[in-house]
Amino acid sequence: MKRRFQIRHRAAWRACVRRLCSLALIFSLAAIPARPQTTPVDGKPTEYEVEAAYLSNFGRFVEWPRPVAAGENFDLCVLGQDPFGPLLDSALKGESIGGDSLVARRITSVENARSCRVLFISRSSEGHLAEILQEVRLLNLLTVSDIAGFTRRGGIIEFVLQEKKVRFEINIAAAKRAGLTLSSQLLKIATSVRRTP
Amino acid sequence: MTMHRPAEILLVEDDPNDVELTLRALRNANSSLCVEVARDGEEALDYLLRRGQWRDRSADHFPSFVLLDLKLPKIDGLQVLRQIKTATATAPIPIVVLTSSGEHRDIAESYRLGANSYVQKPVDITEFRSTIRAIADYWLNVSQPSHPLPKPRPERSGAWPA
Amino acid sequence: MRPALRLYSIRQKLTAMNMLVSGAALLLACTAFASYELRTFRESIVRNISIQAQIAGANSASALVFNDPEAARVTLSALSAAPYILSAGIYTEQGDQFATWSRTPQTNEVPVRQEPISSAETHVFTSDRLILVRVVQFQNKKLGIVRIESDLAEIKDRLFGFAGIVLAVLLMSLLAAFAFSSIFQKTTARPIAQLAETARVVSRDKAYDVRAPLTTNAAEIVVLIRAFNQMLEQIELRDTALKAAREELEIRVIKRTAQLEAVNRELESFTYSVAHDLRAPLRHIQGFIDALMEDAAPNLTPQAHTYLSRIIESTRRMDQLISDLLALAQVGRQELNLKITDLTPLVQNVVRDLALEAGDRHIDWRIGKLPVVPCDPGLMKLVFQNLLANSMKYTRPRDPAIIEVGQTPSNGEQVIFVRDNGVGFNMKYAHKLFGVFERLHRREDFEGTGVGLATVQRIIHKHGGKIWAEAEVDRGATFYIVIGTTLEPAPAGTIPALANSESA
Repeated sequence: MKRRFQIRHRAAWRACVRRLCSLALIFSLAAIPARPQTTPVDGKPTEYEVEAAYLSNFGRFVEWPRPVAAGENFDLCVLGQDPFGPLLDSALKGESIGGDSLVARRITSVENARSCRVLFISRSSEGHLAEILQEVRLLNLLTVSDIAGFTRRGGIIEFVLQEKKVRFEINIAAAKRAGLTLSSQLLKIATSVRRTP
Repeated sequence: MTMHRPAEILLVEDDPNDVELTLRALRNANSSLCVEVARDGEEALDYLLRRGQWRDRSADHFPSFVLLDLKLPKIDGLQVLRQIKTATATAPIPIVVLTSSGEHRDIAESYRLGANSYVQKPVDITEFRSTIRAIADYWLNVSQPSHPLPKPRPERSGAWPA
Repeated sequence: MRPALRLYSIRQKLTAMNMLVSGAALLLACTAFASYELRTFRESIVRNISIQAQIAGANSASALVFNDPEAARVTLSALSAAPYILSAGIYTEQGDQFATWSRTPQTNEVPVRQEPISSAETHVFTSDRLILVRVVQFQNKKLGIVRIESDLAEIKDRLFGFAGIVLAVLLMSLLAAFAFSSIFQKTTARPIAQLAETARVVSRDKAYDVRAPLTTNAAEIVVLIRAFNQMLEQIELRDTALKAAREELEIRVIKRTAQLEAVNRELESFTYSVAHDLRAPLRHIQGFIDALMEDAAPNLTPQAHTYLSRIIESTRRMDQLISDLLALAQVGRQELNLKITDLTPLVQNVVRDLALEAGDRHIDWRIGKLPVVPCDPGLMKLVFQNLLANSMKYTRPRDPAIIEVGQTPSNGEQVIFVRDNGVGFNMKYAHKLFGVFERLHRREDFEGTGVGLATVQRIIHKHGGKIWAEAEVDRGATFYIVIGTTLEPAPAGTIPALANSESA
């Protein structure tokens, strides 16, 4: 109870701050490279647009222990404060993996993550990261986040920005622990691959 | 043999018919002719060469001519001719070859061996007679004899050799 | 001098044939294979490149998805391993260049744009390139386009490789064919060549005791050689038999000649005997009958006298007969003494002699121009004596007697004729005319022995000529003579035929 509340609070606050910051940024010339953009500038996709696109594709490069069967939905869950907004939905629109339609779900608590395949943990949940990861350990989830040090802390895929490009790091051991086999294709795109747990 | 009057003609002929006819013809020509007949070559040579049965014939007498037939027994006529003509004593005696053969080689051979004349006996009797007459006439009267006969004795026996 | 093509030896021909056959077979096979290969090779190249494209595409899927051109370029650069691939490019779904790789970037530029294609894959062959474009699909999602450009040098290289192999194989097989030929010609060509050589030797030297050597075990050739040797054996046998026969024949000929010569001599002595022994009794008969007529004249009745005269007459006839027969025989034995003779004066001489015998008979002699021919003048004189005497004889009832001698051309030959207006004869009996002793008139009408014309015919035939007669009873007779140009050889010895006219 307390945790949920904390999480909710955190997510809400985070969003508020972000809004303020983004407003400030409009007037600021100095852009913080690590800070993602939400609105597209000069036609190029924004960070979260790219991440949304990546998210929608990660599932293709994973060998699921529970096979992707036609008929079900492929749930892509966002835990915490949703940084994507409609971007995610539009990225997932019409897409399917293995016949299953990609569906975005926003969840607020880990308990709802049972049916997820891919779980994006937003920064708002950073404080509870360890518990979250612990809870989802047995769920064969692909955990993705842009929280710094995500993979170090046991996450599987961590979004990083390199030279203005969205990249990601992968923790194979974490994937293995989650019962997932990641395609080498994915691995070779990753900027770094962490093998230690 | 009794002593003969020396013959003027020696007739060498073996066929008796021919002998008869020839003598007849000779007689017809000259009835007084004395003819000696030799029936074969040996006799002829005996007579001429004075040997054998004629050993004692007088040597100085020879016939005026010889009528020689070629077809003779014992010694062949050409042989006789040769012998007569090669013996010096008898060589000069005229030999008239009187034979029925008209073969050229007989004629040639006869002359080669020294025959003085070659006459083929005609078959026709008339011709025969005139031929014999001509021969006798020529060799007795016309041609000079090589050995003149001794003068005839006044007596003459008219005996003819049989 | 180079032999004409067909005179090359069997050995050479066999070898050439062998090599030609192998060469042709190989060439055909190789050509067929090559063309098939080349045809399918294009397809295989396309397949190859297609696979490469698929692999590259598949491996670049994540790069495309996650927008990592570098990763895609790394993937593409792996294509450098394929020696014929010149360049490759990955394009976005819209056709924009995403990643490229070129073996020689200076000369091989990868296009900046690749228009999206409608099908999953297309390819096009240019003059020396294959350009294959394939859609990169990942899990049924079109991610982009991969384009690979390949050099067709592979084909050329393959072609050259083929040609090289073909040539090498051809060469080796030709050598092998040549070698095999050399080996086999021992059993096939060499024996035949030997056989040919043997045949040549046999033919050249006429040596039939030669035999062809048997140095092979090729069935047909063995048969041939054996048959050939057998044939030679036969020839040899025949040859020896022929030689023996010829020798025997020669011996026989010599014997025959000796026999004939003996016969000839016998005949000569025969005629000699005839001359001598037949005539003597005649002479005696005549002589003694004459003597009888002379001596017993007063005792002979006229009838007896007549009979005796007829006896003498018969002996005279017999003597004439003997003379004529002897003459006929003589003519037969005699060899022709040929001289070019002008017949005109010859006939004129005969006529002159006969005219004396004619006495005061009125004879019209018409002697025309006669040819100059090669003949025996003595014998020809005899011929005309005979014919003209006959004419005189048989024209006795005629006043004047017309006797013609001349020549008339007929069939390109010169025909001499003797024509009279005498009593002639019946042509029915013309075939008997020249027979010995054959007479066509009664003896009491016309004397004659019947040998004269036989003699004439004998003489004419000896000259290689022809004689024939035409006559009409009571109108006269004409005798035709052709003196031939080819003369018959003098026969070894002949007895005059006593029956019908003898033939040459």
